[in-house]
Amino acid sequence: MFVSRSMTKKVVAIDKDANILEAREKMQEENIRHLPVVEDGNRLIGIVSDRDIRSALPHRSFEHFDYKKERERLLSLKVKDIMTVDPITVSPFYTIQDALLLIQQKRVGAFPVVDEKGRLKGIISVRDLLRAFINVLGIGEPGTLLCILVEEKVGQLKRVVDAISEEGISLGSILVARYWDQNKRAVFPYLLSQNVAPIKRKLQNLGFTLLDPMEWYLEQLPQGD
Amino acid sequence: MKKTGFLHDDRYALHVTGSYHPEVSDRIRAVYHGIEEAGLLPRLTMIKACLPEMKWIEAIHEKDYIERFSNACSAGKPQFCCADNQMCCETYDIALLAVGGILETARMLMEGHIDNAFCAVRPPGHHAERDKAMGFCYFNNVAIAAHYLQAAWNIKRVAIIDFDVHHGNGTQHIFEQDPSVFYYSIHQHPSFSYPGTGRDFDQGMAEGFGFTKNSLVLPGQGDDEYRALMTRDLIPAMDRFKPEIVLVSTGFDAHEDDDMSDVKLTTECFSWIMHTIMGLAERHAAGRLISILEGGYALHRLPELAQHHVEILLNG
Repeated sequence: MFVSRSMTKKVVAIDKDANILEAREKMQEENIRHLPVVEDGNRLIGIVSDRDIRSALPHRSFEHFDYKKERERLLSLKVKDIMTVDPITVSPFYTIQDALLLIQQKRVGAFPVVDEKGRLKGIISVRDLLRAFINVLGIGEPGTLLCILVEEKVGQLKRVVDAISEEGISLGSILVARYWDQNKRAVFPYLLSQNVAPIKRKLQNLGFTLLDPMEWYLEQLPQGD
Repeated sequence: MKKTGFLHDDRYALHVTGSYHPEVSDRIRAVYHGIEEAGLLPRLTMIKACLPEMKWIEAIHEKDYIERFSNACSAGKPQFCCADNQMCCETYDIALLAVGGILETARMLMEGHIDNAFCAVRPPGHHAERDKAMGFCYFNNVAIAAHYLQAAWNIKRVAIIDFDVHHGNGTQHIFEQDPSVFYYSIHQHPSFSYPGTGRDFDQGMAEGFGFTKNSLVLPGQGDDEYRALMTRDLIPAMDRFKPEIVLVSTGFDAHEDDDMSDVKLTTECFSWIMHTIMGLAERHAAGRLISILEGGYALHRLPELAQHHVEILLNG
């Protein structure tokens, strides 16, 4: 539930006086997109992202590109020249929900995790959150995702779960989501079985409408012109 | 000693929520008996409920919403907007009386008849949004009072301090963009508690940025965390904001014996909280403070909690 469990603890950081090419190399080696900038050992003072580095690099479309001059300029550019100073941070006791909402609100890809003294404890990124939710949903294991339309009435979910239990199928997870129809919700049980034809027939016989889960998901995405 | 008003009306018990609902009429009786049995009634200025001018409710809630609420009660519907909001056909009228009683209390305070007050009302208000009833709330009592004080009495800066264990989503959203009303709430972390709002990083929006603050308490936490968080978050915020009046959304549901949360606050700490808030009101608002009942469902604890609450108001 807490950020401290899902964050990357072995966080790669960089010094503010490091050169930006060095920062880029580090990101490439470690396959990361964000580098917290620390001083005095572990105190967070900024963050630099691959986007910051890309913005600082020259455009190759320039006609009269002076490679030597550009290289000199780049070698003199330091992390402190391009980093975000005092970035948004989260506490290790934020929950995963906090981190998700904040990422959506602030439109950034990662937050450094700091303690009450501002010392870097880890980093939590969209990738870490995806991993946490994959675990919560249980979809990392083999299974089948169903999508069932249910009326917005008390007791409907119980009928679905009872039907699944009666078939002796193990339930990995169950997600309930808004549907586009006002009075209906979409229920996504993740069944730890591939033999789902009997349960699908049973649900249909009980009066439920089954949809292709991907079709529901695609309907939620912004529609193109 | 302070001149403390006490808004109490037997009619608040007429809002009936059914047998299995926690927000029951007995709550108001428990609060009253606690104050009565402690011998405090003779020291209080009693205030009775009355109907408000509708314009004050319409300033906060959409007209269509108010009409739908009224119609639902007239039609005898058992609930309104959601299953949590169980009601009876009297509920609309009682909700009006809650608002009216609080506005009458505010008028008496501003005219100098009282220094502070406790409004023991039902139904509660801080979850009510402009156009939605939820969390046992229908009209956002404290929001309506804040607006009334500003519009009718030219109060410029109102602080709303909400220590009900559930975040006051309605109050926060109503004033989120308003720098003249500071909303502070200390509540159980939204990842673990209804209504799932009131995050640490909510600070207000647009011109209201910097005038909302939420302090979050995790399940199992209690006195130490409340003291630390309010000292760290509330006191400096109020010292900066300098309210001219303090409204308190008073909920007793953070109590360790209250089933509606996982937070473990002791009776003593509720007194510390109220002393702290009174101190802020003294420092910045010449002591002007109105406390408005929100939640609190442990019927066996409400009498002592109400008694201590009122004693602190009286003793200043």
